[in-house]
Amino acid sequence: MTHGFRESARNIWAVCKREFKSYFLTPVGYVVVGMVAVVSGLAFTLTFFMFAQITQSPSQYGYPSVPDFEETLLSPFLVFCGVLIMFLTPLITMRLLAEERHRGTIELLLTYPLRDREIIFGKYFAAMGMVLVMMLVLSVHLAVVSYFVAVEPAVLVFGVITVFLMSAAFISLGMFVSSVTRNQITSGVVTFGLTLVLYVIGNVGADLPAQGPVPAAWPELAQAPLQFLYGIFRALMAELALDAHAKDMAQGIFQPKDIAYYLLFSAFFIFLTFRALESRHWRG
Amino acid sequence: MIEVSGLSKRYGAIVALDNASFSVGEREIVGFLGPNGAGKSTAMRILTGFFPATSGTARVGGYEVHTDPIEVKRRVGYMPERVPLYDEMVVSGFLNYVAEVKGVPRAARRAEVDRAITRCGLTEMSKRLIGNLSKGYRQRVGLAQALIGNPPVLILDEPTVGLDPRQIVDIRQMIKELGAEHTILLSTHILPEVAMVCERVIIINHGRIVTQDRMDRLTGPDRGKSLEEVFIEAVAADQQAATRTEMD
Repeated sequence: MTHGFRESARNIWAVCKREFKSYFLTPVGYVVVGMVAVVSGLAFTLTFFMFAQITQSPSQYGYPSVPDFEETLLSPFLVFCGVLIMFLTPLITMRLLAEERHRGTIELLLTYPLRDREIIFGKYFAAMGMVLVMMLVLSVHLAVVSYFVAVEPAVLVFGVITVFLMSAAFISLGMFVSSVTRNQITSGVVTFGLTLVLYVIGNVGADLPAQGPVPAAWPELAQAPLQFLYGIFRALMAELALDAHAKDMAQGIFQPKDIAYYLLFSAFFIFLTFRALESRHWRG
Repeated sequence: MIEVSGLSKRYGAIVALDNASFSVGEREIVGFLGPNGAGKSTAMRILTGFFPATSGTARVGGYEVHTDPIEVKRRVGYMPERVPLYDEMVVSGFLNYVAEVKGVPRAARRAEVDRAITRCGLTEMSKRLIGNLSKGYRQRVGLAQALIGNPPVLILDEPTVGLDPRQIVDIRQMIKELGAEHTILLSTHILPEVAMVCERVIIINHGRIVTQDRMDRLTGPDRGKSLEEVFIEAVAADQQAATRTEMD
């Protein structure tokens, strides 16, 4: 009755392979990779032109001298790539479990000798495989840059890690949404909505005043706890934002708390996916 | 091989399966007979570990479905009712995937897939997209994926539904042949099918098992009844019993 690690790994690999191949047996894979190629190519070219103009007359753009290449071109581009992937992850994740439900193939999947963890991680890794393909496309730009410019390796390494971790977070969120929906469109739209919310709350959090909107006329006893709650809310808005933790890392500054944020974010939604798949045991 | 006792399944207020008990012996072909919505699929889905029962136990090869799901799933080949398949895959590719997840060792995988393909008469279709197959061939692919890994138990949910007469004959023949090596539980609402294929029949109505017996004892010459009469009598008796308990 031992369900060994090797066996689990083999099953995860089997599920992952089928799932990953399916991306390229349907148009989804080509659409996603094509979009990444076109959009990131355009963005890269534009930022490059911009940087060229800035270098020619820095004072016109408010820089005292030729600005730092990594800071003005590379890290914003990497953060932009993260956002681009954010826009595309719903396309990758929407089918993961919703399609199995919709087509009824979930009945096969759940009656094969597979454990929930093998199904979930198989699918998660397949989606991450798509992220790797996307990043492979992006790395063409980075390769061109590092060929011509001596780039700070830290920026490149941490930048790429950040984009990867950010994508992992989006994927796990999308997989969870897919695990509770039957319709792929619903799954994709909800995922997109949620990532967008998590993306914009950062800006909201940054703009919130430091002092809470508690009327001064209220008694002292109410003031303190309300201010305290407001403080938590404000901090959450700023810290939960998906891009808030990308900026430092993309500039080559190693931040364990940022890495922890993305890992915890992924772990949380993978955990929820497990619970969602298990719910068949107690739901009617 | 299959032992079910006191199995119940409720969806909210609806009782899909009500204290059902039955058993299927080794290498027996048993027909699960009942009107639509009688609880045939529910019972089969519990046996295959797709969802759990509300109460009761179901054992396959000595393993309880709820406590040892993986061991049960290793021993059961299941063909779901509407035969859901991955339309974007090629027949042989899909069956290869099934062999992989069922734990067929890499070296034996190819032979196992070929065996299932030949057995189900899919040789000419093996490189076709599943989405482009006709209903009859889809059904065969459904049967082939159940056969992969050579599980001792086959659970087939309405394997002949929606096929043309010629295909029905083929599938029935296939099932009969498989009965020599496998324990088979198949559901149907077609009476002659049971008479032709099965050795034993379990009649189910409104989630309750109303009759289970060997075919020859139900319809044998001394009884002088056709299966149809047996079925209608059993269902009617059950209905009466149900109304009586309601009135009490």
